Amino acid sequence: MLWVDKYRPKTLAQVIVHEDIAQNLTKLVTEQDCPHLLFYGSSGSGKKTLIMALLRQIFGPSAEKVKVENRNWKIDAGSRTIDLELTTLASTNHVELSPSDVGFQDRYIVQEIIKEMAKNRPIDTKGKKGFKVLVLNEVDKLSREAQHSLRRTMEKYSASCRLILCCNSSSKVTEAIRSRCLNIRINAPSAEQIVKVLEFIGKKEGLQLPSGFAARIAEKSNRNLRRAILSFETCRVQQYPFTSNQAIPPMDWEEYISEIATDIMKEQSPKRFLPSALKYLIVLLVRGKVYELLINCIPPEIVLKRLLHELLKKLDAELKHEVCHWAAYYEHRMRLGQKAIFHIEAFVAKFMSIYKAFLIATFG
Amino acid sequence: MDMDMDMDVPLPEELELLEANSHFYEEPYIDSPPSDPYPPQSPPLKNLEIDGSKRPRNSGAIESPPEENKRTKRIDIEEEEEEDWLRYAPPEETNVELAVEKDEEVYLSRFMSAINGGCMPVTAPSGGERVYAKISGAQRDEGLEKLNRKERSKGLLPEPVNVLLQRVEQQAFAKALEASSEHQNDITIPKTTIVHEQLWVEKYAPSSFTELLSDEQTNREVLLWLKQWDSCVFGSEIRSTSDEVLSALRRHSSTQHKKSFDLDFSRKHRGRRWINGNNNHIDNVDHGTNNLKGMQDFWNKNSRLTGPPEQKILLLCGSPGLGKTTLAHVAANHCGYHVVEVNASDDRSTSTIEAKILDVVQMNSVMADARPKCLVIDEIDGALGDGKGAVEVILKMVSAERKHDFGKENNAKKKGSKTAPLTRPVICICNDLYAPALRPLRQIAKVHIFVQPTVSRVVSREGMKTSSIALTALAEFTECDIRSCLNTLQFLHKKNETLNVVDISSQVVGRKDVSKSAFDIWREIFHKRRTKRDRKSNTSSGSSYGEFDFLHALISNRGDYDVILDGIHENILQLRYHDPVMHKTVKCLNSLGISDVMQQYVMRTQQMSLQVYQPSVAITLHRIVAQVQKPTLEWPKSFQRYRTMLMEKTDILRAWHQKIPPYISRHLSTKSCIEDLISPLLHILSPPNFRPVALHLLSETEKNNLTQLVNVMVSYSITYKNMKSDSLSSNMGHEAVSDASALSFEPPIGEFISYKDYRSDHHVLALAMKQVVLHEVEKQKILQVSTGKSAQRTDGCCNGDQGVVGKGASVAKSAKTIGENAGAGTKTFEDAKNISNTKQGNLSTATVSSSLVSSRRATVEAKQKSTSDFRKARSGFDFFERFRKPSSRGSLDSEIAVVKEVTLERDLRPLLFKFNEGFTNAVKRPVRMRDFLL
Repeated sequence: MLWVDKYRPKTLAQVIVHEDIAQNLTKLVTEQDCPHLLFYGSSGSGKKTLIMALLRQIFGPSAEKVKVENRNWKIDAGSRTIDLELTTLASTNHVELSPSDVGFQDRYIVQEIIKEMAKNRPIDTKGKKGFKVLVLNEVDKLSREAQHSLRRTMEKYSASCRLILCCNSSSKVTEAIRSRCLNIRINAPSAEQIVKVLEFIGKKEGLQLPSGFAARIAEKSNRNLRRAILSFETCRVQQYPFTSNQAIPPMDWEEYISEIATDIMKEQSPKRFLPSALKYLIVLLVRGKVYELLINCIPPEIVLKRLLHELLKKLDAELKHEVCHWAAYYEHRMRLGQKAIFHIEAFVAKFMSIYKAFLIATFG
Repeated sequence: MDMDMDMDVPLPEELELLEANSHFYEEPYIDSPPSDPYPPQSPPLKNLEIDGSKRPRNSGAIESPPEENKRTKRIDIEEEEEEDWLRYAPPEETNVELAVEKDEEVYLSRFMSAINGGCMPVTAPSGGERVYAKISGAQRDEGLEKLNRKERSKGLLPEPVNVLLQRVEQQAFAKALEASSEHQNDITIPKTTIVHEQLWVEKYAPSSFTELLSDEQTNREVLLWLKQWDSCVFGSEIRSTSDEVLSALRRHSSTQHKKSFDLDFSRKHRGRRWINGNNNHIDNVDHGTNNLKGMQDFWNKNSRLTGPPEQKILLLCGSPGLGKTTLAHVAANHCGYHVVEVNASDDRSTSTIEAKILDVVQMNSVMADARPKCLVIDEIDGALGDGKGAVEVILKMVSAERKHDFGKENNAKKKGSKTAPLTRPVICICNDLYAPALRPLRQIAKVHIFVQPTVSRVVSREGMKTSSIALTALAEFTECDIRSCLNTLQFLHKKNETLNVVDISSQVVGRKDVSKSAFDIWREIFHKRRTKRDRKSNTSSGSSYGEFDFLHALISNRGDYDVILDGIHENILQLRYHDPVMHKTVKCLNSLGISDVMQQYVMRTQQMSLQVYQPSVAITLHRIVAQVQKPTLEWPKSFQRYRTMLMEKTDILRAWHQKIPPYISRHLSTKSCIEDLISPLLHILSPPNFRPVALHLLSETEKNNLTQLVNVMVSYSITYKNMKSDSLSSNMGHEAVSDASALSFEPPIGEFISYKDYRSDHHVLALAMKQVVLHEVEKQKILQVSTGKSAQRTDGCCNGDQGVVGKGASVAKSAKTIGENAGAGTKTFEDAKNISNTKQGNLSTATVSSSLVSSRRATVEAKQKSTSDFRKARSGFDFFERFRKPSSRGSLDSEIAVVKEVTLERDLRPLLFKFNEGFTNAVKRPVRMRDFLL
C-alpha cells in the first residue's frame, strides 16, 4: 500500500498535522455526546482522516470493520418509482455515503434513505452509544433541495443519529445546515507541517532526506498533504538516494494545462501579432485541449483555476487583477450553467482580448 | 429526335435578345416578343395548345376562341422563357386528372407524328415554345416513342389544324403589337368567376414535363433515372433508350444547367426580382456540381448495363409545395408509366404496403391501360410507425435484389416469393430527409434534394392587378411554396383586391409556419443577407427589424435551442470575421454563456416559458458575426462526444474505486483520485531503476521495492492485463511495443493522463518486468484472500495487511533461497545457452505449455534473462497455464523438483505449486498431473 495509506494516523492521538483539532475532538467525544459536525477544508488536508480517527475514538476499533454495500433503492415518489443505486460503507455503528453520487436525484437519498437510516436507532441497550453516525461526503455538491431536506432530518432525528458532514467549501452548504453543526475547519497543512510529516515518514522508512528536499516537495504540493506524500514516494521510487535538487514529477494534468497556457500566451507575443483568423484557431486549439481534460474527469472548476494560476505566472502585474476578476466571473457563470466548455472558452477569449489590448497599449 | 438535338443550343444572339427584352419591361410576366418568324407550316397541336393558353395571360384573352378557353381551364399552363422556368418549382399537385394527362399524351403523339411526317419547325410559333422544345426534346421524343406504341392517338380536337393555326398566328401578332406597351391587365374577370370553384392549385398544375417549374437539374435527373429503368421494364425489344439518347440527356443536364447559371449571373443586376434568386445561387451551384459529379460516376457505371439503375429507389425530398409529387407524376407519366400513388391517407402498414408493392411490381393490368406501373410513395416520412413499415418493405425488396446477380434478366418475375426483387421504379417523396425512419433508406436510394426555387412567378391570369414586387414579396413570405402562393392568390382574388406588398404583409394567410432544419438555421445565423436587407430597407420600414423578426420566427419555430446553440458554438470559431482585439469573440462566447446559464435555469426550475428569450441570444450572435460568404457548417458532435467519453471514464473510475478496499477508498473521492493520485501512482508503479532480472538476482533492497510495488498494486487492485498491441500503442504512444501480446494496467489508469498532444514522462516497465510483477500480484492476491479469510481483519485493516506484507516478504525470501541455490549454476551455464534453448524447445513440446508460455519464454530468452520462479496458482487464465512449467536455468537437477510452497495453504488450494525445471535431456520424463496434486 502507498505511504499515504500506510502512515495515515489511525487514532486521534497519532495525528501529527492538526494536533489541536484532534485534541479538541478527543475532548468532545469524551463527553459521551457530540453535536452534528461539519468538516470543511481543501482536499488533502486530512478531513477524512480526522473523521475516521474520531469514529474510532467513539466506537473503538469496531468502527474500522466496514463492509461495502451496493444497494438499489426503490423510492416511491408520488406517481412514479425511482431506482437509485448507492454505495455505502457501513460498520455496526456508522454509515458512510456520498449522496451527491446520484446526481440531481440526491433529494430522494436525503429524504428517504437517510431518514430511514436515521430513524433506526441501533439496538444498544447500554445507552451509552445509543446513537448512530452518518457520514455524508461531499455535502457541498448536494443540490439545494437536498440540503433543505437535510436540515429537517438533522433536527428531527437528532436523538438517535449524528451527522458528520464533510465538504470542501462551506460556502456551498446552506446557512441553515451550517448553523445546525459544529463547524470544524481543517486548514490545509502549512509547508512546515508537511515537512514534518515527510520527515516522519522518512524516518519510519529509514530514508536519508537531504536538507531542503522535503521543503521542496512541500512547496510543490500546493499545501496538499496527500499530494506531498505521494510525490515523496514517487521521488523515492524514481531515484534513491535522494539528491537535494532531484526533479519532482509534476501532475500530468497540471503540465497539460500549463501547456495550454503557453499556447495562449505564446501567440500573443508582441513581436508578431497574429492575423485575426489565427486567433480563432488558438481558441479552437484550446477548446480541444480543454475537452481532453474534461473527458479525463478533471473538474472544470479545477481546470479554470489552474489555468488562471498558470497564466498569472506569466503575466504582468498590472493585468493580474483584471484577469482574476474575469476568471471569477466566468467561474461563477460556469457553476450557474451546464456546459463548462462555453465558459472556459469565454475566459480564454477574454484573456486574449485583454492581453492583446495591453500589448498594443504598451508596445504600440 | 435528331432535329431536336440539333436545336439544343440556343443561339447567343437570341439569348441576348431575350434578356434585353425582359430587362426592358418592369413587368416580368410579359413574354418577350418572339424573335423567330412564324413558319407557315402546320405546327404541332401541342404548341398550339400551349400558345392558346399563353395568349390570354399576355395580351388578353378576348381573342381566344371558346374552346381554347375551356382548355385553359383544364390545363392551364404557365409557359415562360426557358431560363425562367428553370428555376421554378411546379405547383404541387396531387390529383392530376387523368383526362388531362391523356389529352396531353395525345397531343404529344400528334406532335410526334408530325415530326415523323418530316415536319421540322417544331419550335416555330413563339419564342418561348421554341426554347422549351429545345430543352427536353430528346427526352420527350424518348417517352413519346414508347407511348406511341402503347396508345394510339385519338383525334380530340374539334377544329381542324389549320383553323387553330391561323388563330395562333393572329394572337402572336397581336401580342407582338401589345408587348411594347405597359398594358398588361387583362379583362377576363367575368370569365374567371365561372371557374373559381376549382382550386387554383389544381388549375395551374403542370401536366407535362416541360411545364414543370421545379429545378431543371432535378427534373432531368429524375427523368434520367426513370429512363434507366426502360431496358428492364419495357424489355429489350423496346430498347428505345439507346446509349446515345442517354448520353445526350446527360450532356443536356450538364450543359444546360451551367448555362442557366450563367444566365443567373448575367441577370444579377437586372432588377430586384432576381435578387432573392441569387441568394440561393451558390447553393444551387454546389448542389448542381455535386449532383453532376455523382451522375457522371453513376452514368459511367451504368451505361453498359441492361439492368435497372443501381439505386432502385428514388428519394425526392424538399420542403412542401415545391412540386415533388407533381414532378414524380409528370415524369413517370412522361416515361410511359402508370402511376400508383400511396400516400399518407392510405393504409401503410407493412403487410398492406407489401401487397401493394408486389401488385405494382409484378402485375400488369389487364385493362386497357396496359402501361407498366410506377409506384410513388408520397409523404414517406409522415407517420413514423406507418412510414417505417413502408421503408422496411422497400429495404427488404432492394436487399433481395442485391443478392441476385446484377445482370440478371429482370423480366423473370418471381411469383409467390416473399421478397420479390424490385422490377419497377419506386419513387419515395418526403419532406424531411433526415427523418429517423428514412435513415436506412437514405443509404440505398438515389436522393434528390429540391432546392428552393427563386421568386416564383405565380402569375395570376385571373385578372388581378399585381406588381412584380408584390409577387416577389408573396413568394418570399410563402418560402417559395407554389401551392401556398396560389392559395393565397386565390384568396385575395376572391376579395377582388389588387395585390400589393402591404396587403401581403398584413395578410395572415400569406404566412406559413415553417420549421427548418438546424443546418438551415445555423446558416441563417452565420450568413448575412446583405442583398435582402438592401431591398428590405427600401420596401419595409427598417432592415434590422425585419431581420430580427425573420430570425426570431425561424429559431423559435425550430425550438430546439440546445442543439442550435451547440451548433453555433461548434461553428462560430470557423468564421472569418474582422476582430482585431477579439472583442467580438468575447461577446459571442459571453452570449453563449448566457444562453447556457439560462438553459440551466429553465431546466432546473422548469419554467419553460423563459425559453422565449433564447432566440434573442442567437440573434445577437448573428448581429455580431454574420458574414456575407457562406459558412461551412458541421453538426455539433464534440459536446456529445465529450459527454459520452466522460461517462465512460467516470464509470471506469467508479468501478475501480469500488474495487479498492474500503479502508483506502473511503479516503479518496473520485475527484482527488484524478487530481492527486493517478500521476504519482503511475510513477510509483513503474519504477525506472527496476532491473528486469530474475527475482533471485535482485538485491535485498530491490526485492523490498518489488514487494512494495506489488503491495501497492494489490491494495489498489491494479493488475496487468493482456491488451492488443494497437490499443496499447495508442495509449502509451511513446513506448515502442512490438510484441503482439503486451501488458497494460487493468483498470486503464494510464488513459487518464494520455491527453492529446501530450507526452508524459512516465517510465513504462519492460514487458518482462511486467510479467514478473503480474505474477507476483496474482500470487499476492491469493495470499491476501487466504490471510484475509483467516485473520478476518479483526483488528483493523492495517494489521491484516501488514500480515500480508510479512507473508509476501517471507514468500519472496523463500523464493530467494531457492533461487540462490539454483543461481550458482547460472554462470556456469551462460555459455551453453544455445543448447539450453533447443532443449527448452524440446521441453515445451513435451510439456503441455501453451503457446503463450513459449512466446513469453522466447522474449525472456532474447533478453538473456532467466526467468525463474514462475509460480502460477489458480489465478491462471486458462487451464494449461496453471500447469505451465517455466524454465529455470539454475537448477541442474536431473528431475523436476516439485516444491510445495506455503504448506499452510496447501489444503485450501491444492494447485499452488512451484516448479524447478532442469535443462538436461534427463528431464524429459512424463509426469502425471495427480503427482502434482499430492
